[in-house]
Parts: sequence; structure tokens; C-alpha cells
Amino acid sequence: MIALVVYAHPVPDSFCSVVRDRVVGSLIAAGHEVDLMDLYAEGFDPRLPVEEHALHLSGLETKPAIAGHARRLSAAEALVLVYPTWWGSQPAILKGWFDRIWVEGVAYTLPEGEDRIKPLLRNVRRLVVVTTHGSPKWVNALQGEPGKRVVLRGLRSLCHPRARSRWIALYGIDRSDEEQRNRFLDRVASITARL
Amino acid sequence: MRALVIHAHPSPESFNRAVFNTAVAALRSAGHDVEALDLYEEGFDARMSREEHLAYHSEHPIVSPDIARHVELVSTAEMLVFVYPTWWFGLPAVLKGWLERVLVPGVGFVLDAETRKVRPHLLGVQRIVGISTYGATWRYTKFFNDAGRRILVRALRLGCTGRARVTWLAMYRLDTSTSEQRTAFLVRVERKLSAL
Repeated sequence: MIALVVYAHPVPDSFCSVVRDRVVGSLIAAGHEVDLMDLYAEGFDPRLPVEEHALHLSGLETKPAIAGHARRLSAAEALVLVYPTWWGSQPAILKGWFDRIWVEGVAYTLPEGEDRIKPLLRNVRRLVVVTTHGSPKWVNALQGEPGKRVVLRGLRSLCHPRARSRWIALYGIDRSDEEQRNRFLDRVASITARL
Repeated sequence: MRALVIHAHPSPESFNRAVFNTAVAALRSAGHDVEALDLYEEGFDARMSREEHLAYHSEHPIVSPDIARHVELVSTAEMLVFVYPTWWFGLPAVLKGWLERVLVPGVGFVLDAETRKVRPHLLGVQRIVGISTYGATWRYTKFFNDAGRRILVRALRLGCTGRARVTWLAMYRLDTSTSEQRTAFLVRVERKLSAL
């Protein structure tokens, strides 16, 4: 499978980067083709610009700035998001990737005269999230896990109708020890190996 | 009250901008001391930088002068008002990034060094007002969790203010709304905010 790994962390040697390397390594070892999209390294600007907002119902040909990312997303058969959870959800740079790339002509289309959108990412059959939380699980539960449904219900609804999704989270990373982190890395590797 | 109104929409001609202008005017006419922040107009960068992330848990987590100004505004505010469009059932990236970069430890909350527990630090904030326009219906928005509202009403309120009261004003189905419905929403915003 072609796996698009979208990664969002500003610090090159963070724990999140170790997670990313395990994900990529285990996908390659399992024979998948990996496209790594490192949003910080690419200098991706997550702010939806005024001209893209004005063209939100127009096709992809009107938005040359996102053509590269759109092509890579459209080619993906598996989508893996690797990021730290901040404020209960995706970091701004990744939230803005949804805002700018998951748009008309890429992720869905609204056919002329109809009022229901049609999914366009039907080739995406696997959706995996690997995320680390600073706070313990009960805090995230109290906040209502704001970042979870946007992926598992929102993004997933535009993928293949029977796309399988996995959510792999490490809570309380600020208080975790090396053994817990290693266990998490092993879990990440074994799940992504059986994609 | 000292009110900080934060706006996040790229288009000066948008309905969301009209809502923002209405909110600011209503608060001013009610006698509040209003400070307005238009994140797109300021060119606010949504991305927490490497330096900021490395400094996050240090004594000096604020490394850029534009953030220092926002920190001062938020630290003296008694009311926080957010006016934004809901995109992908959440906050626009520029507003999400504002929370991440401005409300760092020592500003929004303090992290106990020993227990690693979070204690609110915006104790002067008595009210949080959220005003959002949604393309989707109410039902759809609930099904997908309304992450933007949860982040502001739960993560921000519980983590930073402790016990601020909440006023939420939502306009659903904006894309198919009539001009009467939009006008009615502006009137609602005007009325609600001038009564605060």
C-alpha cells in the first residue's frame, strides 16, 4: 500500500520524532511504500488564505498552492497521522492541513444542484492516528477528546466506506518513564506492521 | 469589564467579520473596555516554533515580542470573546495556534513542578463568550463533536479560568441562510453582548 505519514512536531529530536521513525520503519519493513510529509520541515502554512477561502467551492485547478499536497493525499491508500495532542486536539499546523487540503475537489465534491457532498478519497482504506498527550487520560476525557471525532468520524467519512481506523494514544507523557515509552513504541510498531 | 475580543477569519467581507464588528460595538456601547485582536490582519503565525517548544517548560516560555503583547492583553482581561468560523468542526488553525503559543505555562495555567498538575492561572477571567458560524447543521455539528466549542468551553475554561461563565452564540447552516436569518443573528449578538 502507499502510506502517507503526516507528521507535525516542531522539534527534530522530540519523542514524537522517535514515534514517527518507528512508524515509518515498520511500514517499510511490512512492504509498504511510505510518503513522509513533515509539515514543519516543509514550512507548511496552516492559515487558510483569503483567496482559497473565496474559492472553497471551486475545483483544485483554482488553488495551485495546494496542488502538491493534494496529489500526495489523493495517492494515499493508508493515512497515518503522527502528532502531539495540544489543547485536546491536533496542533495548529495539522488542523490547518485539514482546513486547506481536505477541500472541494480533493477530499469531496459537491455535484452541481445537489446538497450532499460526495467523498473523493475512496482509495484510503486505512486511517491510523498515533498521538501523545501531556495530560493524563481523565483530563482528556473531561475535555471531551475534541481532536478524536474530527478524524474518526470527519476525515474518515471521506475515505473508503469500509476504511478501518485505529487510534493509538500515549497519555501522561510528561510523567511517563522510559519503560512506558518503549512499550508504547513497540505497540505502535506492531500495529503499523499489521496495517 | 476589560474584554479581549479575538477574531479569526481571513475575509474582510465575510459575515463572520460583521459579527465581530457587531460584538465589539455592542460591548463598547455597554461600557466595557474593549481590546480587539484580528489574528489574520495581524499576520499571526499559527505555528509554535521549535524555540518556543523547547522553552515551553522553562522559566521564560515567551520568546517572541508579538506573543508578549498578546500575553499582556490576555492576562489583564476579565472577559474573553472568540469570534470565528467553525472549519472541520473545530477552530481555524490560526486561532488554535493562538491558544498554543499565547496560553503557555505561567500565562494560561501553571504546572506544578512536583505533581505535574495543571492549575488555572487566568483567574481574572469571569466570562468566556464564543460566537461561531457553522456551515453544518446543529445535528451534524454535535455528531462530529464541535471540537472548537469543547476546546474553549472545557479545555480553556476548566484549565485556565477555573470557573468563568460561558455565553455561546451559534449560527448553523450559514451557507444556505437567508439575509433575514443573518440579520437576525447580528441582532441577537448585539442584544446578548450589550446585556453582559
